[in-house]
Amino acid sequence: MNYKTVFRVAGFTLLVEAAAMLLPMAVALYYGEDPSPFWKTIGIMVVVGLASVFGLRGEHKFFAREGFFSVGLIWVLSGVFGALPFWFSGQFGSYVDCFFETTSGFTTTGSTILTVIEGLPLGLLFWRSFTHWLGGMGVLILTTALLPFLGINSTHLIRAESPGPVKSKLVPRASQSSKILYAIYLALTAIQVLCLRIAGMPLYDSLIHAFGTAGTGGFSNQNLSVGAYGNPAFEIIITIFMLLFSINFALYFLILTGKVKQALKSDELRFFLGVTTLAIVIISVNIASHFSSYADAIRAAAFQVASVISTTGFSTVDFNRWPELSRMLLVILMFIGACAGSTGGGMKCSRILVILRTIAAQVRSIIHPRAVSVVKLDGAPLSDSTVRTIYAYSATYIIITFASALVVGSDNFSFGTTLTAVITCIGNVGPGLEAVGPMGNFAAFSPLSKIVLSFCMIIGRLEIFPILVLFSRSAWKRS
Amino acid sequence: MGATVARHLAAENHNITVVDISEGTLARISNQLDVMCIKGSCVSRTVLEDAGAADADFVIAATSSDEINLLCGHTAKRLGVPNTVARVRNKDYLDDLDNLRRDLGISKLINPESAAAMDISRMIRLPNAADVDTFAKGKAEIISFHVQPGDHVADQPLSHLTTKIKNLPILFCAVERGNEVMIPNGSFVPAVGDKIYVAGTPSGVSQFFKVLGRHSHRVRSAFIIGGGRVTYYLLQQLEKLGIQCKVVEKNEARCRELAEWFPNTLILHGDGTDPELLTEECMPASDVFIALTDRDEDNLIISLYAHQCGVSKIIAKSNRQNYSLIARSAGVESVVSPKLTTAYQILRMVRGIQNSKGSRMTALHHIANGRAEAMEFVVSSATRNLGTPLKDLKLKEGVLIAGIVRDGRVIIPEGSSCLQVDDIVIVIAKDSGILDLNDIYADAFGLRGVL
Repeated sequence: MNYKTVFRVAGFTLLVEAAAMLLPMAVALYYGEDPSPFWKTIGIMVVVGLASVFGLRGEHKFFAREGFFSVGLIWVLSGVFGALPFWFSGQFGSYVDCFFETTSGFTTTGSTILTVIEGLPLGLLFWRSFTHWLGGMGVLILTTALLPFLGINSTHLIRAESPGPVKSKLVPRASQSSKILYAIYLALTAIQVLCLRIAGMPLYDSLIHAFGTAGTGGFSNQNLSVGAYGNPAFEIIITIFMLLFSINFALYFLILTGKVKQALKSDELRFFLGVTTLAIVIISVNIASHFSSYADAIRAAAFQVASVISTTGFSTVDFNRWPELSRMLLVILMFIGACAGSTGGGMKCSRILVILRTIAAQVRSIIHPRAVSVVKLDGAPLSDSTVRTIYAYSATYIIITFASALVVGSDNFSFGTTLTAVITCIGNVGPGLEAVGPMGNFAAFSPLSKIVLSFCMIIGRLEIFPILVLFSRSAWKRS
Repeated sequence: MGATVARHLAAENHNITVVDISEGTLARISNQLDVMCIKGSCVSRTVLEDAGAADADFVIAATSSDEINLLCGHTAKRLGVPNTVARVRNKDYLDDLDNLRRDLGISKLINPESAAAMDISRMIRLPNAADVDTFAKGKAEIISFHVQPGDHVADQPLSHLTTKIKNLPILFCAVERGNEVMIPNGSFVPAVGDKIYVAGTPSGVSQFFKVLGRHSHRVRSAFIIGGGRVTYYLLQQLEKLGIQCKVVEKNEARCRELAEWFPNTLILHGDGTDPELLTEECMPASDVFIALTDRDEDNLIISLYAHQCGVSKIIAKSNRQNYSLIARSAGVESVVSPKLTTAYQILRMVRGIQNSKGSRMTALHHIANGRAEAMEFVVSSATRNLGTPLKDLKLKEGVLIAGIVRDGRVIIPEGSSCLQVDDIVIVIAKDSGILDLNDIYADAFGLRGVL
């Protein structure tokens, strides 16, 4: 392991994060609040960041191992340092709570330990939501876009940070790809803010909800989330943008370059839209009796399905009170998640699709032992190693889910609460069922559970392996 | 393939020069055929010039490499050869074939495997027929079938057939009995085992099969042995027809390629000559069995096995003509030969250009194992005996007018029919040598220019 370069990259990332924190500090100043939590944190991050950037000049040996290691490390550090403004403000409980809340923000989960949100300083709430926006596309992707002079092969970093089983660049240069992704991301966010403003949402609330939607995070500045406004226009706009942000961003690049047909042919997109539509239909029928009109039922179902499959986690109604079929379906959607290459979490539609296809191939090979089957995605055959990685990923995902549920189980909550808390955290969704439902929160868990759940979030966001690399002894060996 | 084309062209008194890099091949060809042989690479301008390409009417590039053929065709064009033909078989060129042809200035690109696949898919669409040849852009076709015991047409003169058959728009145009080919008249008595060629409209032909009592059930499944180029082109056709296919191929890498290109087809890795594999995969239950391996012998043997298992329609690929005779006598009705198909295709081009001044020959099909030809001409004002009823015409021995297509309608010729300008005429002739429509009349001599 080339520690010097790894920590140097981490230093650069801390500096970028410190710069990003200037924005919530400006918000705090604008609203006449105490900016000290922010400048204190910025001061610490700049000192640590500069120290590692200038103190650790080493060889530029940087391979996949270093890439994975830095990504894992940096995401943990982001939570550690990003929690400081909350801690300094004194408005949150313990430091573990602050760490949980920040990690939940950066990983775009949206689970909260706050029982009352309204009334907190607006600067802090802005930072809380802004972490969604930063974490959605990735802190390191931002760093490589801004600082292409890192002097290392940044492909390894991007590969480790971006979700999805198959990774391809949009353009030949990695830093150029990062810039394009961030440009698309920024543009879509701006459009959403504009739409919400036109529909009549205050600017501050529009920004908060646009950050929450863009990163598919789910932090709101209202206790009742989007439901607090009771405004169908807001709900429809947010529903549409939640779905837009859970589509592979490479498809937007294809559309922008005029290859619309190719984009619409994407297997994963079709699967995603198919699952979404089917879920909306089933839930609408299932919950129709709870609503006065079918339109209301469909709107509520569409919002909730979009919110859960995109792994955003906003809510308009308390779906915890819905019939068991709808609740179960939503939990399954938490597992499936959004498309690869989006800001959403979960296991990703493309993986589920590949798994379903290999199952079909497996059945076929039993009936026809000599049959040669090729599993394809978007018309191209997947290599055996890709399929194997997908299987390993899925198995690990489930093992970690149950192992974490075992630890969280020590808090002695109900089965539904315990399991959905883990599922929602590892899937980066936000709310679960029962005590952690849309109207509940994670405050009651023990510090141990909160730390485990925080790691679940990072594991889910980074797709497991960068964090597992951190726990591998051979990765720590000096090279 | 070059040798096959050379043999057919040499038989029609053309001057042929064969260029090849292998001395052995050249020695073999010069022993068999009356042609000139030159050793060298056909992409070399010097070699082509030495071979006299500059003065040739035709340069045909048919090496095993597509790229060499294209380059050779291009070079020949620059030498001023008016007609160039190149064989291109790789599917990667398929999408852009027309542009490639135009940009390189080659007159025609031929793809034997694709042509053979077209033939096979035609046979599958009409499973009762042994062979199907289409004319006038599909408006008319000539199909053949073997007379089986109990058929209405067996053991009675054609003139005694029921009016039901007589009123159909079809014409019995040739009969293959043993090694002989006959043009039947009203007194002809078909016997069991004869292979009868019937010309007519596609609907007339399928009605005829219905009257004959052979129910034309749609082909739903096909079993294919061998996953080569013909299979590739064939699967493209069959997937469009909605036919479920199973393919057995020996080479695993090729299996993966096919599985990637044809996700709806079951690709099996194994030896197609292994009866256990064939039984395991329910080969006897398939509607059509097609043997397309590289080895003619394997194709014939497994076709015979499939015949024994009771598959009703069997198609085998065989490039060697003598094998196809054996196959037919053993019950394998349909044999395709990419080599021959292409040779005929080139022959048709050569003849078409030869008599472009008179009536244009637009199609040429060899039937009855090459012992008879079915040709399609467009009547021009230079054609003699226009407007004379057919019964007053004296045609050459062994020549028959099988159909006339006028304004898109098929006319089954009767005594009172006559030829008009712009008609498309389908002519059956027992011997080759008909190059112009005027050659069919008995008052003309066999070869043009003698008059």
